[in-house]
Amino acid sequence: MELHIRDVSKTYSNGVAALKNVTLTIPVGMYGLLGPNGAGKSTLMRTLATLQEPDEGSVRLGDTDLLNQKDEIRRTLGYLPQEFGVYPKASAEHLLDHFAILKGFSERRTRREIVEALLRKVNLWDVRRQKLGGYSGGMRQRFGVAVALLGDPKLMIVDEPTAGLDPSERVRFLNLLSELGEQSVVILSTHIVEDVSELCTRMAIINRGEILLETEPLAAIREIRGRIWRKVIEKSELAEIEEKNAVISTKLLAGKTVVRVRSRENPGGGFEAAEPDLEDVYFSTMMSKASVPDGQPELN
Amino acid sequence: MKFLEIFRFEFAYQLRRASVWLYFALLSVIAFLFIVGNYVDDARAGDFFVNSPVIIANVMVFGSLFWLLAAASVAGEAAARDAETRMHSLMYTAPIGKAQYLGGRFLAAFVINTLLLLALPAGVLLALRFSGIEPELLGPFSPASYLSAYFFIALPNAFAGTALQFSFAALNRRTTASYLGSLLIFVTAYIVCPALFKLNPELAKLLDPLGMINLQEMTDVWTPIEKNTRLIAPEGVFLLNRLLWLGIASLTLALTGLRFDLVHHAASGWRNRLQRRTAALLAKTAVLGGSAHCNPVSIPPVARTFGFAARLCQTLAITRESFRTIAKSRGGLVLLTGVAILTAIALPLNMNHMGVPFFPRTEYVLTFLTAPLTDPHTPWIIVPLLIIYYTGELVWREREAGLSEIADAAPVSEWILILGKFTGLGLMLVVWLALLATAGMLAQASMNYRDFEIGLYLKVLFGLQLPEYLLFACLVFALHVLVNQKHLGHLAALVAYGLIAFASGLGIGHHLLVYGSAPNWSYTDMRGFGASLAPWLCFKLYWAAWAVLLAVATKLFWVRSRESGFKSRLELARRRFDDSAAGIGAAAVLLITAAGGFIFYNTNILNEYRTASEIMERRAEYERRYGQYENTPQPRIAGTDLQVEIYPDRRAADVRGAYRLVNNGASAISVVHLATSPEVDTGEVSFDRPAALSLADEELDHRIYTLAEPLAPGDSLSLNFSVHYELQGFRNGGADFSVSANGSYFKNLDWLPAVGYQTNREINDAADRRLYNLPTRPEVPPLEDAEAQGFPADGDRIAFRAVVGTGENQIAVAPGALRRTWTANDRRYFEYATDAPIRNEYAFFSAAYAVREARQNDVVIQIFHHPAHTANLERILRGAQASLDYYTRHFGPYPNGYLRFVERPGQGFGMHSDPTTIDYSEGSSRLDPGNDSRGLDFVTAVVAHEVGHQWWGGSQLTPAYVEGAPLLTESLAWYSALGVLDEQYGGEQQRRLVSFMQETYETPRTRAAAPLLRAASDWYLAYRKGPLALYALSEYIGKERVNLALRRLFEQHGAGRSPLPTSLDLYRELQAVTPDSHRSLLHDLFAANVFWELETEEAAAQQTASGEWQVTIAARARKFAVDAAGVETVLPMDDWVQVGVFAPAEDDAQPGKPLYLQTHRVVSNRQTITVTVPEKPARAGIDPEHLLIDLKTDDNVEKVKPGN
Repeated sequence: MELHIRDVSKTYSNGVAALKNVTLTIPVGMYGLLGPNGAGKSTLMRTLATLQEPDEGSVRLGDTDLLNQKDEIRRTLGYLPQEFGVYPKASAEHLLDHFAILKGFSERRTRREIVEALLRKVNLWDVRRQKLGGYSGGMRQRFGVAVALLGDPKLMIVDEPTAGLDPSERVRFLNLLSELGEQSVVILSTHIVEDVSELCTRMAIINRGEILLETEPLAAIREIRGRIWRKVIEKSELAEIEEKNAVISTKLLAGKTVVRVRSRENPGGGFEAAEPDLEDVYFSTMMSKASVPDGQPELN
Repeated sequence: MKFLEIFRFEFAYQLRRASVWLYFALLSVIAFLFIVGNYVDDARAGDFFVNSPVIIANVMVFGSLFWLLAAASVAGEAAARDAETRMHSLMYTAPIGKAQYLGGRFLAAFVINTLLLLALPAGVLLALRFSGIEPELLGPFSPASYLSAYFFIALPNAFAGTALQFSFAALNRRTTASYLGSLLIFVTAYIVCPALFKLNPELAKLLDPLGMINLQEMTDVWTPIEKNTRLIAPEGVFLLNRLLWLGIASLTLALTGLRFDLVHHAASGWRNRLQRRTAALLAKTAVLGGSAHCNPVSIPPVARTFGFAARLCQTLAITRESFRTIAKSRGGLVLLTGVAILTAIALPLNMNHMGVPFFPRTEYVLTFLTAPLTDPHTPWIIVPLLIIYYTGELVWREREAGLSEIADAAPVSEWILILGKFTGLGLMLVVWLALLATAGMLAQASMNYRDFEIGLYLKVLFGLQLPEYLLFACLVFALHVLVNQKHLGHLAALVAYGLIAFASGLGIGHHLLVYGSAPNWSYTDMRGFGASLAPWLCFKLYWAAWAVLLAVATKLFWVRSRESGFKSRLELARRRFDDSAAGIGAAAVLLITAAGGFIFYNTNILNEYRTASEIMERRAEYERRYGQYENTPQPRIAGTDLQVEIYPDRRAADVRGAYRLVNNGASAISVVHLATSPEVDTGEVSFDRPAALSLADEELDHRIYTLAEPLAPGDSLSLNFSVHYELQGFRNGGADFSVSANGSYFKNLDWLPAVGYQTNREINDAADRRLYNLPTRPEVPPLEDAEAQGFPADGDRIAFRAVVGTGENQIAVAPGALRRTWTANDRRYFEYATDAPIRNEYAFFSAAYAVREARQNDVVIQIFHHPAHTANLERILRGAQASLDYYTRHFGPYPNGYLRFVERPGQGFGMHSDPTTIDYSEGSSRLDPGNDSRGLDFVTAVVAHEVGHQWWGGSQLTPAYVEGAPLLTESLAWYSALGVLDEQYGGEQQRRLVSFMQETYETPRTRAAAPLLRAASDWYLAYRKGPLALYALSEYIGKERVNLALRRLFEQHGAGRSPLPTSLDLYRELQAVTPDSHRSLLHDLFAANVFWELETEEAAAQQTASGEWQVTIAARARKFAVDAAGVETVLPMDDWVQVGVFAPAEDDAQPGKPLYLQTHRVVSNRQTITVTVPEKPARAGIDPEHLLIDLKTDDNVEKVKPGN
């Protein structure tokens, strides 16, 4: 089963074009949607989660028309929004049970099993009676995963899930996600490159509503091998280097600036060859296709 | 500086909210409507200006009720917006103090809320300027009227209201919690205080949060002149009231300041801290316990279903969640239980009539517990308000919790979401009604009443009241979803409720046009629901179909995505319009059309539908067209012979009859005017001589017959007619119960043709007459109107005979002696004939009656009563015997051989006396005078009064219809009843009745009034001041003299012949028996509106050498007259006033025995009176029995201090 997104466009009433002719084919497995804040990721994710109507285009999951057969889609949909709240006075067990009913688990006994299994899976079993209002961000996020996992979804939409998680929570969370990609279409939107490089077999880079690149992370890295160069410089030298080279990223390292440039040949001037990573792919794509990646208003 | 910035920012921020401006506009519209829809009429009727200070203040008070809702939104935003939008992290960490933060925010909310209240005077001014009010109703513009109302009512209200709303929101960190503050004030102002007022008026006035009760009293008490000129000023209790609320508000704010912390919510409060700590602990273990890898937990494969069972399961789950949400919220079960407890406490306080306790029968208790949606004047207005609040919470629940995206993506159809939430709300309403039923039964039990009739509770509360609320809830759901903005949703729902509740005031009377409305149902023991249920059901079915249509709209526009633009929602709705929506919608439309059509056929085609103004126009037209015949000589009815067939099962009746008409005048009569009744079909009318129908106005029900040969003076003719009564379907105005399965009751004046032009069909109200361009005339002809004396409206004396047929198991009652009774064709027949002429006013009754009988000499006394209503039968019989005996001896003979009491269906307490027949509605049978703490036997007193009417007004002495007539009927009947109690039940009963009548002094009432001789429609003058004045006179000159005067009056006028007596005839007789020394008292009591202010400042006693006690009373007196407009004239006083000295009381209830009771001359101002008594005195004072009209009764007598 594949997810086909065809020519989906969306323009908000304030004139911002959030999606422009987005066309993607997403197979079973983990799929990363990478882009800066305000690139249109959430718009696309909400569209896929049946909560937003595109102006144009079509989306199909297998044979099902996602835009017009919402009820069917929702039966096989797991959605973890970028931001969500909970009823602070309800317990995790109670609220998960409630969602289990909504997702079609009508039989009381089996529903209990499912709820228990999921709570154990996301490691909330011990705190299941605790009020959700007292949960930390990571616990809440894991609770969201439990809700999204209800009903063994064929389509899983995970919008910026790691934002705001501490490193260990993030690892645990990604582990949880990695299991999903085995039979389902899992779309993970993020602005954190590592999320994609660690998890996804395929990915797309989106900015200002357009898909800039659709590829497999490993292939993309392979493609730019030998073209990435790095140098540790003083901050004051940066302007000069930017003038002469195609700088794709700068980073601080122990007070010095590490600058990475893209070039077919060694640019000279003390640059050394660097092993490319997905971040280089991301930044170089952004650099080549768009002049101003930042400064867009956040689109929600 | 920071404080100012916080204030400035908040103020500017809120002023940019569109809803604030909308509230302002709405409040001015409300003020506008108050003036136009209510106060203009009041002013027309009450002889004061529309823009008088007291009316402006009233608008302020009632506007404040609506302001509570707008203001809650403002205060809630100011107090809790930061916490709710999670801005608080930025705000609280800024270097600002708690006082600056809260103070600035509160001040901004307060200022905006005071500005909102300016909408009220603005609306008033708009109404005065643009609504076309007659200029004579407008006084000069006076800024002080507006300022005083604004400063003393609006500002304190705004401060108290905003303080409570702000505190609730700030401490709960939720903007909507501010509505709880509003609710608290609303419940106190609209429910608690009015209930408290019956117990302890002063406390109620003190507690009154918005000034409603205080102002009501001012409106009641102030004379027209005061109303026009006196400014609202806080003084006395009202001042304390204002200070109290300022104090409560300040205290609340101070407490809020103490409790509020500029910290993240989860970290504040001990409960949260505790919760947080355990949570952190558990989270830690969870983190440590879990490895970095996923737990190897396998999810069991469970099949999911999405069939009917699953949908049901989903619906129930949402229902449960929704119910829990509202039940556990602060305005939920706790509040409802509180209201139910209040109800259980307050109900017994209402179970009395003028202080006379009664048996709390379920039928009556239920009238207190229910109210149609269209009636906003009961405490149950709180239920629709709560429905609005709950619905807002439910519709916005997921979105407010931030859970909407997850929930919306769940595979649940909109139908299930809506149905689940609606059912959750419905469940809450069911719980509420169950609480209410419990409260009702608890109240009954607390009064030792055990016949709960639970079945009736269930039928009425769940069968009739619940649908009322559910229909409204459907509308509110739809509005909240369509508006898709919480505060505006509340506002839209409120406006909708206002339109429903005040639709009739806006001139929309047809229930097909007012959402959820229907003709009211009614229930009484005798009649059951009668015919009131079927139309109610039809209308509710019709509106239920509309509700389904609203539900379809709710589904189509249910918000389930981020799309909030109107166009995209419309597009979405179009896409959601699937087969189920189309099918259900079509079915609803079909049902609307079918039920609506059926109703319209019933209300407008089978029956004639007339709006209120059309009815008035008809009356005006009647006067315009036929008023010219008012003085045309007409023959009088001298005999009536009827054949009445009542068909209780078919709810129909036929009357065939003949009038014997006599020409009593001096000239021949050739034209007979006949006024037929609009309620029945009057068939052809024939005369015993040739006559032609020269005009038949079916529209205005007037016919004119021309006699071929004029009727000579003294001659008589016979007029034969037939009328047919049968209800066709039902009417918009509700059921007509004239003929019911059990408990039929109709009067001749309602159905039978009347001879001559009918003045009582004219518009009487002066304001309405002006509106319909009719010549002005006094509502009651003036006393001097000599014409009226020779021309009685209903003074005819007739010989009456009737055969009345009814259902086999019923008894029919009509005036006259029962000649015979028989059964034919499964129907029972009764023949009645009078043995003495009666007035031409009588009624027919038919029901499955039980009969109780007694005799008084030659008079048979009968009670026809509902078999279950037996509590007061003995009292009635004994009272009637005692009365007949007393009146016969003192005034004159009773001309008939029978006197009947007949019960008829109805919740009221009315007794009504027609010749030989006294009817009473079921309510009277509930009275339980045996439990009256005052020891007054009210039932006996009323029976004596009604039997008194058999002499005064009812059938023998008939006054001319001019001012002062009620003095000759009601006042004399009550005064006579006092005599019965005195002579037959001992002086104590008489004293209790007198003090019962004097209780009305405590009811606030304007002093501007006509003298008794000109009493017209004023209940207090006719029923209280009149008998009290006669009683006072009898105490001064002796009862025998007063009775002698009455006897003489009766001897002259008892036969009902022209010229009919007026109050002046009574006055003349009273003058004849009053010694010169008391002539001025007689004048002050009857011919002028005089008040006395008598006060004992101090009473002291000293024992003399001879062992007696010398009592010195320092008294103060004042006497003044007040005219009808309220102009007060101080009169020099030199009157005989009783001076009394009393021995110590033996027990608290009884005053001590009088040691001295003599009249002394008392003059204006201060004076000292000295008397000597043989025993040691306890209390002393002037006018101890309150014989003179002195509204302040508690300062006449004081404790005697030992002298030095």
